[in-house]
Amino acid sequence: MLQILGMIGANMLSLPGILGLAFGMMTRKWGFAALGGALIGLLEALLFAKFDFSQIDAIEMVISILIGIIACLVGCAIRRKGVLI
Amino acid sequence: MANSSDKQNRLQRLWTWFWSPAAVLSVGFTLIAGFLAGILFWGGFHWSLEMTNTEEFCVSCHTMETNLGEYRETVHYNNHSGVRAICSDCHVPKEWQHKVQAKIVAVKDVYHEAIGSISTPEKYEERRLKMAAAVWKKMKASDSRECRNCHEFEYMDFTIQERRAAAEHQRAIDTGMTCIDCHQGIAHSLPTGYQEEYQKISEALGVPKLGEEMTFSEAKSDEIRTYLDQ
Repeated sequence: MLQILGMIGANMLSLPGILGLAFGMMTRKWGFAALGGALIGLLEALLFAKFDFSQIDAIEMVISILIGIIACLVGCAIRRKGVLI
Repeated sequence: MANSSDKQNRLQRLWTWFWSPAAVLSVGFTLIAGFLAGILFWGGFHWSLEMTNTEEFCVSCHTMETNLGEYRETVHYNNHSGVRAICSDCHVPKEWQHKVQAKIVAVKDVYHEAIGSISTPEKYEERRLKMAAAVWKKMKASDSRECRNCHEFEYMDFTIQERRAAAEHQRAIDTGMTCIDCHQGIAHSLPTGYQEEYQKISEALGVPKLGEEMTFSEAKSDEIRTYLDQ
């Protein structure tokens, strides 16, 4: 359980969380944001496995994709709420 | 009732103010201020995280005294070259994501310190195997990632190693073994029944596949350990 929480926290403070939020803030389209977030999460899993698919841990990949999607959607919500034009 | 509605109004006003355009601030000012605040926050966060990697921080808990005493007897504390590996070098990953994960998981150490799970030598010995097994499992799964911050098979010159060490390292390369497969008690005393426990960990993780080579290695591990202790 603690391992999973650690993984979630680590993803929030690295590429999926931070880049995901920044990417989400660039669009008003929910679908595009979610797709971008998933790609960022996947990219991170690949980067950590040095682009070797056999080295990717399934749970780590799922968590990084989920965090990427959530961060992008939050970014998108910030964009919709905070940019008035 | 009036207080609660006042508070709600205040929160609502704060929310509205937060999302209103900053009419008096230029874009440049907002960007520079945000950038500086970001640097201050990230710098402070990273600095605090690094503070928790110091040996002083690790051993500030009473329960760490036993491990500290054992570690001070090893080559990682005192050696001819004057290079020292402190607690965090072996127990905290260097990569950002793994490091943050390790720091979050380490919250359990604070909890156990608070409830006194290993507060006496007897309690410590009782849990030694469990604690050691948790670290071995992590190291086996990560291919001894933290050992490899300093040691790599590729950097080893087998011609200047003791013959047996060179042969064992060569066999480790050939059979896909990792550092922790042989060096379990490198910095702390080994608990009774460690070989059986390590065998279970290896089987559970399934990497590398245990075969005759691994059985041979474990039979030899006492010999290797005696050599290292010398």
